[in-house]
Amino acid sequence: MTTKELQTQVVQTEVPVGLLNQAQDLIEAGWFRNLDELFLDALRRFLESHRGELMEEFIRQDVEWGLVGNE
Amino acid sequence: MSDASGKVICDAGPLIHLDELDSVHLLNDFAEILVPVQVWNEVAFHRPNVFDNPTVTFLKTEVTISPRARFQALIRSLALDTGEQAALTMMQENPDAIFLTDDAAARLAAISLGYQVHGSIGILIRAIRRQQKNKEEVLDILRSIPDRSTLHIRPALLNEVIARVESHTID
Repeated sequence: MTTKELQTQVVQTEVPVGLLNQAQDLIEAGWFRNLDELFLDALRRFLESHRGELMEEFIRQDVEWGLVGNE
Repeated sequence: MSDASGKVICDAGPLIHLDELDSVHLLNDFAEILVPVQVWNEVAFHRPNVFDNPTVTFLKTEVTISPRARFQALIRSLALDTGEQAALTMMQENPDAIFLTDDAAARLAAISLGYQVHGSIGILIRAIRRQQKNKEEVLDILRSIPDRSTLHIRPALLNEVIARVESHTID
């Protein structure tokens, strides 16, 4: 086999019913083929834009602003 | 407490997280609390009672998301949701306001557009400086974040934040 297969792992999680309903609405409207595809896309996008070091830097900025900020 | 500060434009995260921590009233220190309708609907879906707080006046504001090419490129590249897009559009019309968000991507977008931006942690700690709460009260809230809130913060970093607040000397 020349193409490396994408390794996957099954995970189980609890999802609020409201969020699940929103997700199913998108699937029924044809935006995603199924829940697997939707969750994978959502997770990928979240991880792309939420780098740990960035979030940490923002928290530190907030602490200093909170303590000694000048408004 | 000194006079109310300026204007804030809210994303959903801080409204939800502050409400979880019974601290949404801290926003009443700002002269105007603007909430785009897209954010309003998102918050009302998850925390229906946030806007019933009698001590805070929220201004629900209709917003048409900016079609400007640079703005559209930015929000698409960071995959911002409609609430974040609406809030940032409002910031274009109110560039001196403070944008409140707990979302790293939305915050990054706001910084790149030149806006002042802070999150729930900043509002909580600011309450000491603004004499809305004393240091011990704020420390108690910070310590309760893992149990009471969906605000994500690495435990070691939260401990560092708490230590920084503990060591801060109030003038």
